[in-house]
Amino acid sequence: MVEYRIDRRSGVATYVQIVQQTKQALRLGLLEPGDKLPTAREVVEATAINPNTVLKAYRELEREGLVEARRGLGTFVRRGLNTAPADSPLRAELDAWAVRAREAGLERDDVDALFISVLDTHFKGDES
Amino acid sequence: MTETAMEAAALGKTFGRRRRKDALDGCAFRLPAGSVCALVGPNGAGKSTLLSLAAGLQKPTDGTLTVLGHAPAAVRERLAYVAQDKPLHPQLTVDDTLRYGRELNPGRWDDRVAERIVDEGDLDRDARVRTLSGGQRTRVALALALGKRPELLLLDEPMADLDPLARHQLMATLMADAAEHGTTVVMSSHVVAELDGACDHLLLLGAGRVRLAGPLDDLLAAHRLVTGRADTSLDPHTVIESRTTGRQLTALVRPEGPLGDGWQSTAPTLEELVLAHLRAPQAPALSLDDRREAAV
Amino acid sequence: MTTAVSIEKTTAVPSPRGPRGLVWTLLRVHRSALWFWGMAVVIGVGALLWAYGPGADAAWAEFRQMGCDSGRPGLGCDLAGPAGGRYDTVVTVAAGFLGLLPFLTAAWAGGALIGRELEDGTAQLAWTQSVTPARWLAAKLAVPAALLASGTLLLTLLHRTVYSADGSLRTALGSPEWFRTNTFEANGTLATAYALLGLAVGVLAGLLHRRALPALGTAVVGLAVVASVIDSLRPHLWPVETLVDKHEYPEYTGMVLGDGALTSTGARVPDPICVDDAKCLAEHDIVGFYRDYHPSSHFWPLQLMETAVVLAVAAVAVLIAFGLLKRRTGAAV
Repeated sequence: MVEYRIDRRSGVATYVQIVQQTKQALRLGLLEPGDKLPTAREVVEATAINPNTVLKAYRELEREGLVEARRGLGTFVRRGLNTAPADSPLRAELDAWAVRAREAGLERDDVDALFISVLDTHFKGDES
Repeated sequence: MTETAMEAAALGKTFGRRRRKDALDGCAFRLPAGSVCALVGPNGAGKSTLLSLAAGLQKPTDGTLTVLGHAPAAVRERLAYVAQDKPLHPQLTVDDTLRYGRELNPGRWDDRVAERIVDEGDLDRDARVRTLSGGQRTRVALALALGKRPELLLLDEPMADLDPLARHQLMATLMADAAEHGTTVVMSSHVVAELDGACDHLLLLGAGRVRLAGPLDDLLAAHRLVTGRADTSLDPHTVIESRTTGRQLTALVRPEGPLGDGWQSTAPTLEELVLAHLRAPQAPALSLDDRREAAV
Repeated sequence: MTTAVSIEKTTAVPSPRGPRGLVWTLLRVHRSALWFWGMAVVIGVGALLWAYGPGADAAWAEFRQMGCDSGRPGLGCDLAGPAGGRYDTVVTVAAGFLGLLPFLTAAWAGGALIGRELEDGTAQLAWTQSVTPARWLAAKLAVPAALLASGTLLLTLLHRTVYSADGSLRTALGSPEWFRTNTFEANGTLATAYALLGLAVGVLAGLLHRRALPALGTAVVGLAVVASVIDSLRPHLWPVETLVDKHEYPEYTGMVLGDGALTSTGARVPDPICVDDAKCLAEHDIVGFYRDYHPSSHFWPLQLMETAVVLAVAAVAVLIAFGLLKRRTGAAV
């Protein structure tokens, strides 16, 4: 099960937050194929948000093929998301890069800004 | 696609004969069934009048207001209304108040729904209503409204005298009910933050007129919050409100096409959208009800 | 087929004991008023039964003991003894309560029943349940009217029984005659009619003001005005009888409306107060004296005529109340 945490001040649309947090849970393995997502009622009882927002988020996840709604039963996870496990070569490379960046005298904020600008360059045009 | 929960056409309500005061004037909007609508506006904008008309407690001076496809008085049993000061009989106990709902709504009343709302608040069922705190009273009033299993729930400043925890609890209860039964909810408030996240429709009233109406996402998408140099023109976009600080100009606009270079723009939040319109009473009204209807 | 349907209906709707719907609501919300009325009726019935039985017996015994029943005039017989006083007090207070009841009803109906509910929004609370304002008002009128009418009728019946059983005792005690306002009303249908008028006037005042205190005031004052107007009409609701005598004012028993002297042409003139002065009488052309009055046989005609007038006024007040409510809420009745 996943618990959503809605930040009303983030400026990110509520349904996007639910989509992102579901994906995050899939990436981290908190949700696995076959798991049931909380019902709209359960989500709104915990978060006091609009039920249509939850349904909109679930429709979006369904459209992306991540979950499927089974009539009368609920919404279930269909597949997980590609994740880079903790011991993958990509993570090792990034780790080494971070060490170099620090040696070069970059602050955490500098690294953050650099990382985001590189992400922006490479993932430009992808869904925001 | 959707049924209409509430629809107003040229709706007007005037109080007083000698010194006529328009509480509502030429209002037109349409609210689809199943939506949760925020009714926002400054004090005296006509929010309470509109809700009271929709509840069939008064009749309009001009125009029409249909609720669930009929005149409000004809669908009394399908509506629920919680007035601003949460009227209840003070001498009745909580249990008696629930029985009141059962007795006066034969064939509709759902004891389980009403009892669950009361019990979630840890209320003593034998306590008299006059001994309850503001929040507990609101809870009982809401139990009475939801126990009726309404198709349209009209709430006038429902959260006004609640602490943050009780607000969250009651809003969650409301939303859960809406999720389960598809209840259409219209709630008024002048605290916009209270409604953010809970509502998918917005009806902004100002001086008895509709300022903004439509699906919240569409209304937000129709506006941009822009910053740029003060000497740059914002034509041909509709400027709702603008502020100049030194060389910088900040404005809320309704873009008519792409914004030019040199403008940094972000999507406004509900609060920013509402406040900008409240600060600029002369800004043109925008209703997106019909566009949606045409698109479907 | 019909049996199957009816069985289904009875199982679908649980039928708990006691009143349902609006009736239950009214009885529950106005429980203290209901208690007050119940107690008042019980005390009134008890008091009148006491007066009818032990009270009257004790007064008679005392009367005989004082030797006043022999027909011989005695100074002590003009004043009642303690037992006679108790009897008289109880009967007078009972009739007085019935006379006060319409005003209590009007104050309660204007204040608590209607005015306060419109003021604090509980009326609107009822109208947003599955209850139309018209049904709400109908129940507000019907339930108290039924309770008021049954209690008042019971009390007037008892009062009448006491009054007609102890005629000679009453004469001895100098109790009020049949046409005194409180006695007249408490002995027939008028006490009930006025109580209902109080309810109707109170309800109308409540709807007019929509606030408890002003409604209470208007209800009481309004009822006082209406009741005094009707009261002044009372003697004229039935033709009077006239007694004529050549020499002096005729003997009478009953409600006197007017008297005076008659001339030879039959004209009624003010009495020149000649007494036995024949010259004076001739000078004024006085040939006799007359007296207009209602004998006690006019009790029921007068009673029923006035009851009809009171109920008609109450009905008008009720109609105005419904009209007012409809205009205000615009609700389909």
